[in-house]
Amino acid sequence: MDLRAGDSWGMLACLCTVLWHLPAVPALNRTGDPGPGPSIQKTYDLTRYLEHQLRSLAGTYLNYLGPPFNEPDFNPPRLGAETLPRATVNLEVWRSLNDKLRLTQNYEAYSHLLCYLRGLNRQAATAELRRSLAHFCTSLQGLLGSIAGVMAALGHPLPQPLPGTEPAWAPGPAHSDFLQKMDDFWLLKELQTWLWRSAKDFNRLKKKVQPPAAAVTLHLEAHGF
Amino acid sequence: MWMSKTWLVQAFFIFITTESIGKLLDPCGHISPESPVIQLGSNFTAVCVLKEKCMDNFHVNANYIVWKINHFTVPKEQYAILNRTASSVTFTNITALSVQLTCNILTFGQIEQNVYGITVISGLPPEKPKNLNCIVYEGKKMMCQWDPGRETYLETNFTLKSEWATEKFADCQTKRATPTTCIVDYSPVYFVNIEVWVEAENALGKVSSNHINFDPVDKVKPSPPRNLSVSNSEELSSILKLSWINPNIKSVIRLKYNIQYRIKDDSTWNQIPPEDTSTTRSSFTVQDLQPFTEYVFRMRCMKEDGKGFWSDWSEEASGITYEDRPSKAPSFWYKIDPSHTNGYRSVQLIWKTLSPFETNGRILDYEVTLTRWKSRLQNYTVNDTKLTVNLTNDRYIATLTARNLVGKSDPSVLTIPACDFQATRPVMDLKAFPKDNKLWVEWTAPNESVRKYILEWCVLSDKLPCILDWQQEDGTTHRTYLRGNLVESKCYLITVTPVYADGPGRPESIKAYLKQAPPSQGPMVRTKKVGKNEAVLEWDQLPVDVQNGFIRNYTIFYKTIIGNETAVNVDSSHTEYTLSSLTSDTLYMVRMVAYTDEGGKDGPEFTFTTPKFAQGEIEAIVVPVCLAILFTTLLGVLFCFNKRDLIKKHIWPNVPDPSKSHIAQWSPPTPPRHNFNSKDQMYSDSNFTDVSVVEIEPNDKKPLPDDLKSLDLFRKEKSGTEGHSSGIGGSSCMSSSRPSISSGDENESAQNTSSTVQYSTVVHSGYRHQVPSVQVFSRSESTQPLLDSEERPEDLQLIDNVDSGDNILPRQQYFKQNCSQQETSPDISQFERISGSFCSGCFWSRC
Repeated sequence: MDLRAGDSWGMLACLCTVLWHLPAVPALNRTGDPGPGPSIQKTYDLTRYLEHQLRSLAGTYLNYLGPPFNEPDFNPPRLGAETLPRATVNLEVWRSLNDKLRLTQNYEAYSHLLCYLRGLNRQAATAELRRSLAHFCTSLQGLLGSIAGVMAALGHPLPQPLPGTEPAWAPGPAHSDFLQKMDDFWLLKELQTWLWRSAKDFNRLKKKVQPPAAAVTLHLEAHGF
Repeated sequence: MWMSKTWLVQAFFIFITTESIGKLLDPCGHISPESPVIQLGSNFTAVCVLKEKCMDNFHVNANYIVWKINHFTVPKEQYAILNRTASSVTFTNITALSVQLTCNILTFGQIEQNVYGITVISGLPPEKPKNLNCIVYEGKKMMCQWDPGRETYLETNFTLKSEWATEKFADCQTKRATPTTCIVDYSPVYFVNIEVWVEAENALGKVSSNHINFDPVDKVKPSPPRNLSVSNSEELSSILKLSWINPNIKSVIRLKYNIQYRIKDDSTWNQIPPEDTSTTRSSFTVQDLQPFTEYVFRMRCMKEDGKGFWSDWSEEASGITYEDRPSKAPSFWYKIDPSHTNGYRSVQLIWKTLSPFETNGRILDYEVTLTRWKSRLQNYTVNDTKLTVNLTNDRYIATLTARNLVGKSDPSVLTIPACDFQATRPVMDLKAFPKDNKLWVEWTAPNESVRKYILEWCVLSDKLPCILDWQQEDGTTHRTYLRGNLVESKCYLITVTPVYADGPGRPESIKAYLKQAPPSQGPMVRTKKVGKNEAVLEWDQLPVDVQNGFIRNYTIFYKTIIGNETAVNVDSSHTEYTLSSLTSDTLYMVRMVAYTDEGGKDGPEFTFTTPKFAQGEIEAIVVPVCLAILFTTLLGVLFCFNKRDLIKKHIWPNVPDPSKSHIAQWSPPTPPRHNFNSKDQMYSDSNFTDVSVVEIEPNDKKPLPDDLKSLDLFRKEKSGTEGHSSGIGGSSCMSSSRPSISSGDENESAQNTSSTVQYSTVVHSGYRHQVPSVQVFSRSESTQPLLDSEERPEDLQLIDNVDSGDNILPRQQYFKQNCSQQETSPDISQFERISGSFCSGCFWSRC
C-alpha cells in the first residue's frame, strides 16, 4: 500500500481493514500465551487432589498395616527413614527460599518419594490397594511432570538426579517386618507433609506469578505496513 | 475374515491344479502379487509366470495364458506378454470389493487348464477420525469417542493413544463391536494435561486424528448428588429446604447445580435460577411455594466453570410445605324449600369445598353463623358442605368460613331475603355457547354493583328430574364456563342469578348444549286428515331426551310407490303441515326428518292412501240419482192412478158378482143386525169398494209355509175339479204372502155380467193333521147359479172367517147356533179385529 501524506482516505481504509480483521487475530486469544500462571494453578490443584487421594489411601494402607499404625495418636520416632526427604523446614528458611530452589526441592523430594512409593506398591497385598497405590503413583508422576512444566515455564533447569541419592528400596533382611511397616508409615506421613508444604509453595508461587488481569498484548500481524 | 477366505480360494485352486496335473502341491505357475489389497477405483496389474517344466509338459508358453475374473474370460486387450513364461493383465478403475482372478493355459485341444488363482480385495484407506472427545465418569475410567469417517470396506483398527509430556500411556484398542469408542485402562489423573489422539489403520493406510490436549478434570461427568432430602418450615408455609450429599469429586473441584421442582401431580419441571446455585453447597432453600403442597425435587451438578458434563439427575425427593390458613372464602349459596310451615321456612345452605391450592391445608370444619335483624348470632360447626336450618320469614345474614389447622378463611357472606322479597335486577343478554369443549356462559352485568353471581345448571330431561349443580363467580365476572362434568348432546338449563348486598336478583335462564348431535329418534308423522288431493300431516314435538340438540327444522319426504321422493322443509315451530297436489286413490309413503345443527334423523315411514272421491262427492252423485228415481216412480204411480180404469180393463177379466146370484134360503134367519146390510142397500151402493177380500188371519200364529202349500194344493184341486171356479187364491189387496181365501167380486162385473156366477167353496179341512172342530159349511158344488135370495154373502164371509183360529171355536158354535146373539157377545171385538185387518172397502168395517 502506498502511503502518502494527506491521503486520509487511504489511512481510513487501512484502519477499517485492520478493524475488520481484528476479531480474527489469534493473538487476541488470551490463552494463546498463558504464561506459567495456569500451570502453577494446576500444580497447586494437583497437590490438593493428591492430598485428598492420600487421605483415603493412607487410611486404607494403615489399616492394612494394622495396629498400632492405624491408631490416630500413633506417633513413632523416625527410625530407619532417614533417607526420606524431610518436608519440615524452618519457617524463616522456607520464606527465604527463591522460586527456583523451592521448585527444585519439591521436584527432588517427589522424585525420591515416588521411588519409595513404587516399592510400597510391590508389597501391597490386596488388588484394590495396589490399584489405589498405582493410581497415586501415576498422579505423583503427574505432579512431577507438572512441577517440571512450571520450572520450564519459569525458565529454570530441571535438577539432575544425583547418583548417590538414588534410593534403594529393597526389602532386605536388615529390616524387620515392624521396621518395614514403620518405614511405610513414615513414607506416607512424609508424603502428606510434602503435599501440604507443596500446596503452600505453589499457592505462594501462584500469587507471585499471577499476571495483571488487564495485561493483554496486541500482536497485530500488520501485513503490508 | 477375508484372509481366511483368500486362503480357502487358494487352497481350492491348488487342489484343482494338482488334481489336473496329477502332482501334489506343484502348481504349474503362480500369480504375483499373491494376495493383493487395492484401493477402490485404482488400477491393478497381475503377472502369471509359468514354470518351464509345465510349459514343456503341455507344450505351451505365455501366449497360451488366459486370464479369468470371477470365471469370465478377460479380454485379450488387457493382456501383455512380458516374455516366454510371463503374461500380465491390467484392470483399470476397480469397483468390485472382492474378485477372483485366475491364470489358465489353453492346452492341446483348446482345453483350459487352471494354473493359479488369487482373490483381489478392494477398499479404501481410513479417513482421518474427527470429533474426538473424551468424558471422565467420576470414579471410573476415561472414555473417548470419535467419528470414524467414511466406510473403508476393509478391516480397520482404531487405536486411542494418550500421553503426558513426560510419559506415554498404554494404547487403547477398540473392540470390534464398538469401533468408535474406547475406554482407557487407567484412571486419569486430574490437573495434569493429557494429549489424546486416535489412529485408524487398515491394509491401505494409517491415519491419525488431530491431537487433543486437555485436563481430565475438565472432562468430568460427576456422579449425581445423593441422599437428597426435603424439609419444611412451620414458620413459613412457602418454603422447603433441600439438603444433599455432594459427590466425592467435590473435594477436588468446585460444583454448580441445577435444581428442578414440580408439584407432585404436575409433569412440568420448574428450574431454580442457575445463578442461585452456581457455587458448591450442600443445601438450598426453595421459596415462593404454595402452602400445603407436595413438591418433587431433583438436582444435578457439574464443574463450577462449566467445563465437563452435567451429572445425571439425582433421585427425586419430595416434601410438603407447611399449612397456611385457607386463602379463599368458599362458594356459598342456599336453597329454600317452597313449603311453608307455621311461619318457618326450611333453608338449605350449601357451599363448595375449596380447591387444594386454596385450602392451604386440611379443612377441619366449616363455621356457619346466621344473624337475624336485632337478634343474636346462631353458630353452627359443620363438617359437611351443607346445612339445613329452619328460619322465620325474616331476612337473615349467613356467613361461612373454612377452618384448617392454621386458621380460618375469609368469610363468605350471603343475604337470605325475607319471605316477601321480590327479586329484581336480573342479568342481561344472557348467552351460552360451547367453545373448546367447554360450555361458556356470558352475560351483561346489571347496572348495580353485584357481589357475586351464582350459576346453576341441570340436564333437562323428560325422564329424570332436574338435579342442580352450581358454581359461584366473582361480581366482576361476566363470562365463565361451567365447571362440571358436562355431557354432550344433553340439554342444559343454565340459570344465572346476580347476588346483591341485599339479596339475590332475579334469575335468568337459558338452554344450551355442550355439543349437539343428530336426534336419536325421528319424528313420528301421521295423517290428521286425508283428502282426495291433499293430506294434513301432524306430528308431536320430539321429547327433549332424544332431541340431542336444538331442532332447527323438519323435512318431510313423501313419495308414491313408483314416483320420486319429494322433500318439503318445515319450520321447527310447526307440528302440522298440509301436503297438497296429491293424486287421488294413491298410496303415499311419508317420513319426516328432524334436524339439529349437527344433522338429522328420520322417523318411521307412514303410509296413507288418498281416497277416490272427495268427501261429499258420493252424496252429490247419489242424492240426485235417488231423487230422480223417486220422481220417476212417482210420475209412474200418478200415471197408473190416472189411467187405472184403462189398466184394469186390460188386466182383470170380468167376474160375475156373486152377490147378485140367488140360492134357496138355507141359512138361519139373518140377524137384525145384518138387515142394514141388505142386498138392496148393497146394490144401491154402487160406490162401494170394488174389491172385497176376506182375510183369514190366525190370531196367535202365522201359518207355516206348509200351510201355504196345502192351500195351494187345495186351490189346485179346486181348479182341477172345477174349472169355472175362480176368485179363490186370487190376489189379496193387502199382502199376497198371507194365506188368504178371497172372494173377489166386483160390483161392476156383478152388475154387468149376471150370467157368469162364481161358486165359491170354502172348505177348510183340518189344517195339516188337525181335525177342525169347526162345523164347516159346505157349499154345493153345483154350477147352478145361486138364487139371490139363497145367497147371503155376509154369512159366507163370516163362515170363511171361522177357521181363523182355535180360540174362536166357541164363538163359531155360538155364531152357528144363534147368530142373533152376536151383538151381545163381548167377544165381538174379535171380529172387529179380524175385519180391521181387511183391506179398505171391507164390508165388516162398518159392523
